[in-house]
Amino acid sequence: MSTELLHFLFLVTVLVYLAASIFQALYLAIGERSETPTLRPRIASIAFWGTCLGFVLLTLFIALWWSREGHFPMKHWTDSTAFFAWAITLIYLIVVRVTQLRAIGSLVIPGAFITILISYSFSRNTSALPENLETYWLVPHITLIFLAYAAFFTAFGFGLLYLMAEKKIRQKTNMLFHNLFPSLGASDELGYRCTILGVILLTIGMIVGVLLTQYIKNLTWRWLDSQIFFTVVTWVIYVVQISIRQLWGWRGRKAAYSEIVGFIAVLCTYIGVNLFLDSTHTFR
Amino acid sequence: MNQIVSIGTSHHVAPVEFREKLAFSEEQLIESLHHLRESHKVDEAVILSTCNRVEVYGVAHSQRTTESPFKVLLDFLSNYHRISVDTLKKWSYRHHNLDAIQHLFRVTSSLDSMVVGESQILGQVKDAFDFSRSAGGAGAILNRLFAKAFSVGKRIRSETTIAAGAVSISYAAVELAKKIFNTLEDKTVAIIGAGEMSELTAKHLVANGVSKVIVANRTYERAVKIAEKFKGIPIAYEENLNFLIDADIVISSTDAPHYLIERKPLAEIMRKRKHRYMFLIDIAVPRDIEPDVSKINHAFLYNIDDLEAVVASNLKERQQEAVRAEQIVSEEAKRFHDQLQILEVNPTIKALHQQFQQIAECELKACLGKTTLSDTQEDAVASMTQAIVKKLLHHPVENLRHAVNDGNADHGQYVHALQELFALDNNDDKDQA
Repeated sequence: MSTELLHFLFLVTVLVYLAASIFQALYLAIGERSETPTLRPRIASIAFWGTCLGFVLLTLFIALWWSREGHFPMKHWTDSTAFFAWAITLIYLIVVRVTQLRAIGSLVIPGAFITILISYSFSRNTSALPENLETYWLVPHITLIFLAYAAFFTAFGFGLLYLMAEKKIRQKTNMLFHNLFPSLGASDELGYRCTILGVILLTIGMIVGVLLTQYIKNLTWRWLDSQIFFTVVTWVIYVVQISIRQLWGWRGRKAAYSEIVGFIAVLCTYIGVNLFLDSTHTFR
Repeated sequence: MNQIVSIGTSHHVAPVEFREKLAFSEEQLIESLHHLRESHKVDEAVILSTCNRVEVYGVAHSQRTTESPFKVLLDFLSNYHRISVDTLKKWSYRHHNLDAIQHLFRVTSSLDSMVVGESQILGQVKDAFDFSRSAGGAGAILNRLFAKAFSVGKRIRSETTIAAGAVSISYAAVELAKKIFNTLEDKTVAIIGAGEMSELTAKHLVANGVSKVIVANRTYERAVKIAEKFKGIPIAYEENLNFLIDADIVISSTDAPHYLIERKPLAEIMRKRKHRYMFLIDIAVPRDIEPDVSKINHAFLYNIDDLEAVVASNLKERQQEAVRAEQIVSEEAKRFHDQLQILEVNPTIKALHQQFQQIAECELKACLGKTTLSDTQEDAVASMTQAIVKKLLHHPVENLRHAVNDGNADHGQYVHALQELFALDNNDDKDQA
């Protein structure tokens, strides 16, 4: 497949994500308006199926790009952000499938759109991986870590949903019953489950990463690689959060805040380290 | 033409003293429907009798032009309930054709109810209709009319938020609980003090899945007495509020002159229950729960005014939605009315077709008997006759349909003229059934 065609496919994907994000956001935004009961299911289904379409296109694009490059395309920012968007959408689809709660899409799908837009804004050049990193162990390592990040992002979304809904309940807004926010209990519980999922994925991903070092020749391995350091910090933050919840019943607002703090740590790890520090893990 | 009429009374036009005189018991319903049918003055009838309204719907088929169906129903009601016709006229409303259709649609959509959007009326009309049908009252037209009325009622409920939002304190409390808790299934509600409102709220909560009820009262005997109603656990409390550790929803309505639940002790209780959510409803005046309680994390406090504000805003919104619902009802009523009229001319059109067809076939047979034509020639002649019949009938039929669609009131005359001119033996009762 020619490069132009691939670029065009990616552009279409970005536009589909844009449309899906708009409808996802509308879904929650118009929830409080009374004259929308017939419109609402239509918006909901456009948002959902638009997201599905975007996901299929993005999967197709990554697969084609992969086969064109001949190795897992994960060297440049443009690769990793597209992959992050893919992971976010996958987690969203799983959450909707399991819980039937669609409100979370209003927050995470626009997030996925922004990541994919960042990906689009970088020029997409063929970039060879360092030869010594060309091992199949790299695929599960990166996939697991990005799925973990996506799970943390979804937990962050549920944290926000919780805070927004709690504010409405405390303010005793009149339109309380129309909004489509999940109940406080549901947001709290799902945020927690996403956090646990993220921790499990991150843990396995890190273990795979350690194993990976065994297969890489000539690795200038540093245990104090900044990316590794910050990932461990993130991991600790989440594990502490889960423990505190189990021990002292930190739920609701505190849990929501810690989900937000946790995701900020993820962002620092992912963006901050890549931009400002030097690491084997840098996407450049 | 067929006439649909309704005569009725409701809380809008008549006081309960009059409505109760007009109400029908089940036996009376059977008797009345039989009576109406035996009288042969109306062809179909359905009687709806609830505590807020009594309505009689009647249909007189086209043949009857002698006596106004209104008069029939008025006379019947006046005789049956021994009320003078004048009094009846004073306290009732009467609707004819399109108005009658629209009125029924408004009733099933609960636009005519005391609380707009209430959910019971649709079921009540359904019951009344089923009853009248099994008693032989409803026929082809009322079957259609009521079936449509039910679907309009459902449409209004799904396309507008006329029935959304709780409009009573107790339902508002249940709705709020659902916004807080993931599920109500494993939750515990504690009622402190006694009172109709708190018991009603607890009842709704139990109906929505709450599994455990704690009834707390100053005296154990009273607690036991109230607890019996919910299979609840009776508790006598003094100053000790430790039973709240298990309570997810607390409804307080004591007549204590001071705060019963204060911030500090409740914060301690919240700690003991590991900060699981607590939804506190204070419906006592003076209040039982210190307002500052709402500053505790995971404790959500609503007092009587908050709940009443929720109810008031829901009511207001229902009224706004009612405007949209009225539009839908008008459209649906108009459409149904038109369909009914088209249905009325259909038998005439069918009879006309039949007659022409018969003549054509007869003549064709006679003609073909006299000649010797090949099969293809015979086919050609046959299709030509068909084409002639079709073309001859095209304009009269189309114009008749147009007259109906344009709401031309003369279409009855057209039908009459066609029947006379072509000597049609039109039996539309049979065709419509």
